[in-house]
Amino acid sequence: MKRGILSLIWAAAWLPAPALSAQTPDTLPPAASDEDYSQYEQVQFADDGARSYCYPKILDLAPQRFVSIGWDAQALYRMQSSALGEYQGDDDPAVAEESDVRYTGGLRLTANVPVVSRNSVVWQVGANYWDVRYDLNPVFALSESAGLHARLADRGLRTLGLNTTVFKPLDAKQFLYVQAGADLNGDYTFSDFQPLRYLRYSAAVVWGKRPSDYKQWGIGLSRTYRVGELNYLPVLLFNWTSPNRKWGVETLLPARAHVRRTFSPRSLMLAGFELEGQSYRIEALSDGDNSFEIRRSELRIRLEYQRQIAGFFWVSAQTGLRNDWRFHGDELEGGRDFFRGFFGDQPYAMLNNLGNALYLNIGVHLVSP
Amino acid sequence: MRTLLLLFCCFFSIALHAQAEADKLLGLWEPSNGKARVKVEKIGAKYFGKIVWLREPNDPQTNQPKVDKNNPDESLRNTPLKGYRILKDFVYSGKGEWTDGVIYDPENGSTYSCVIKMKDDNTLDIRGYIGVKALGRTDVWKRMQVTGK
Repeated sequence: MKRGILSLIWAAAWLPAPALSAQTPDTLPPAASDEDYSQYEQVQFADDGARSYCYPKILDLAPQRFVSIGWDAQALYRMQSSALGEYQGDDDPAVAEESDVRYTGGLRLTANVPVVSRNSVVWQVGANYWDVRYDLNPVFALSESAGLHARLADRGLRTLGLNTTVFKPLDAKQFLYVQAGADLNGDYTFSDFQPLRYLRYSAAVVWGKRPSDYKQWGIGLSRTYRVGELNYLPVLLFNWTSPNRKWGVETLLPARAHVRRTFSPRSLMLAGFELEGQSYRIEALSDGDNSFEIRRSELRIRLEYQRQIAGFFWVSAQTGLRNDWRFHGDELEGGRDFFRGFFGDQPYAMLNNLGNALYLNIGVHLVSP
Repeated sequence: MRTLLLLFCCFFSIALHAQAEADKLLGLWEPSNGKARVKVEKIGAKYFGKIVWLREPNDPQTNQPKVDKNNPDESLRNTPLKGYRILKDFVYSGKGEWTDGVIYDPENGSTYSCVIKMKDDNTLDIRGYIGVKALGRTDVWKRMQVTGK
């Protein structure tokens, strides 16, 4: 199965390449340089309606991806779960179920299509599908265990999401960035689909400045599931490229932060972290209208290499440590989510503990102009 | 004979008008980022645009005039950017559109399929795309007038 996915990714990188290549033979060499170019220094706009807008990116950022096909896999780790009950996050309940997880991973597909892409506004619509499969070896399971591990091994977890982003330059230096998304997360299959009332919504608004081609920054607010459960967090955007264009920083806190080393316009390396999280409904553990949800959040400390392979196709290889931030379970009454934040005392319905694991992520991407 | 002459005049007039429409692309244009000015010329039946001015003409690293150092073709990496043709092979396809050309981005060395649409006499929509027009980005270029030295 894994070999099949890898073959698919590799084949996808090459098959459409000729059709998508924008290169055409040059019909003329670069122009001769005997013209007096100084005459073009003193100019004015032919009309007075010209207005400048700031560009969404700065120099040398890792390329934005239109379409991505990837595969993610985590190495061996141990998973421990309590029985169903009421717990505070720092409780240490008895372990009711324990397994060695031999494989966690699956296919990751994402697409982002620009609906409007102009100087004055950029509007994109995207979709993503993540599949997480578990292959685990039970160590023990007490009679009072909820059976979460067997359920994960049987069904895995899936995410199907839609999102939209709008970049609106306010003038030549300032911009507004708005993002919204809806995700259906759970142990559903396409033949046993999850009701849409369990959609989880996220959003972010950032106001920022782009003082030069080498720097942009912004501040904002997000409604996010990056920490596994619903939270409202400030957002800090900071992208910077060094004057020699060899180094840079790409940061969107709390989601991710990376240091970038640019080898050429066609290859780069990123080192840093990403916080990944979602709230997954587990059908078998949901009682009636209630929704039992695993609040999965993991911090991925990582190194990623990206390079162009042909035309606008790039590949990426990423490896690092997957650190378990949270994998606890919540019982949501009537399926309605609630805000616990960092200081709330609403009890969890299950406490889980995952060992940390090395992970690998590879992908093929069609990148944006 | 008079009818034939009239028809000839009509065709000639239409051809002249179409030519005048096509040649509206000629002139000096500035992309939205204001970092360069591009002069569009006609060579044969096709339209080309070359960089004639750069806001930052010298490479801050070398303090020498900028060259096309990101070109995937190593033999072109010493070509000066000033004078470089970044719009190539456009033909007028009617209704204020020039097609079949490509645009080159010296910032990253990529060449994109491109279509140029004239919104009004002084404004161009330049859309660079990959494969299909939906996968692209539109930049608005404004016409510039040389005011003299």
